[in-house]
Amino acid sequence: MSGDDTEHEIITPPETLKQKVSYSPEGVDQATLDRAEEVVAGLQADYLTWVQDDLSRMQEFFAEALENPDRRGDLAAKIFHVSHDVKGQGGSFNYHLMTAIGNLLCRYIEAKDTITDADLAVIRLHIDAMRLVIAEQMEGDGGERGRELIGGLEAVITKNLGRPAS
Amino acid sequence: MGGYNLERLNFLVVDDNKHMRALVKTILHSLGSKNVLEAADGADAFKELRHFPADIIICDWNMSPLDGLDFVRLVRTGKDSPNPFAAIIMLTGHTEMHRVVEARDAGVHEFLAKPISAKGLYSRIRSIIERPRPFVRTATYFGPDRRRRQIEYKGRERRKAILEAQQQADDSGGGLSQAEVEALLNG
Repeated sequence: MSGDDTEHEIITPPETLKQKVSYSPEGVDQATLDRAEEVVAGLQADYLTWVQDDLSRMQEFFAEALENPDRRGDLAAKIFHVSHDVKGQGGSFNYHLMTAIGNLLCRYIEAKDTITDADLAVIRLHIDAMRLVIAEQMEGDGGERGRELIGGLEAVITKNLGRPAS
Repeated sequence: MGGYNLERLNFLVVDDNKHMRALVKTILHSLGSKNVLEAADGADAFKELRHFPADIIICDWNMSPLDGLDFVRLVRTGKDSPNPFAAIIMLTGHTEMHRVVEARDAGVHEFLAKPISAKGLYSRIRSIIERPRPFVRTATYFGPDRRRRQIEYKGRERRKAILEAQQQADDSGGGLSQAEVEALLNG
């Protein structure tokens, strides 16, 4: 909360970062940034391995939700958490479709107070779409297929929520 | 060519996802950082701060048992906080207007939307280096001055505009772009 800020005290921090950071030829320049981006790009193979763990966990939570209707709320929250991680990581490794699908799934789950059979079907579609993107290594925006995939998921969400995801 | 040498800075990376921690750590090392410590949640991070003098804390929002926002508040206003002046970059997938304002009002310096890139993270670090801010203590806030461009500050009008924009964004339900987040945080 912002509150009433009329009474305030200004405090100078004991030291600023500039005292510990020098400006030098060895510092971070454009070439350093380009190399850092290349290093991140080089992690793409690792990403494809660890995202499999995320997909497996979502699949396990989904299977549990199918068998335990009374625990669907908790399990959907767990799926949300993993999907949020997928959303936050995909784009860093040129898997922007994973970020987009993860975002749609998060927006859908957070819009639901209870999870019905129809909702589980929507969740399954998103998990399947993520698996497809990784299995076929659909990098970037996935081109025409990627647009169709996202468009299809958005249409399903709109139909089930009665409005777009966001 | 030259640039800022980050070798002497201490970074604390706080995220409950080990892969995200690895990504941030890899980027920091690629930028020349030597001292990068990891913590899996806010509670662990607070313990680490007792013996690790972090210059910049890069923390996630969604963590348990202590989430990123609670952790920031603890660092800023906790009675036993070892480093209330540490620079904090909030790293999150939540970019809705009300969340950005909430993070700013908890005392974060910078806000970086996921998915992250090396250039994006460095731009936030550079901003902290180049624009050191005094801290402000009010009845309801302790943290970096939220009015970075003080000359242009219009007081009540700006805050009113932010609240109106916040209402509009919340009504539309959409998230902000990184540029919009920066505009908001930069005052």
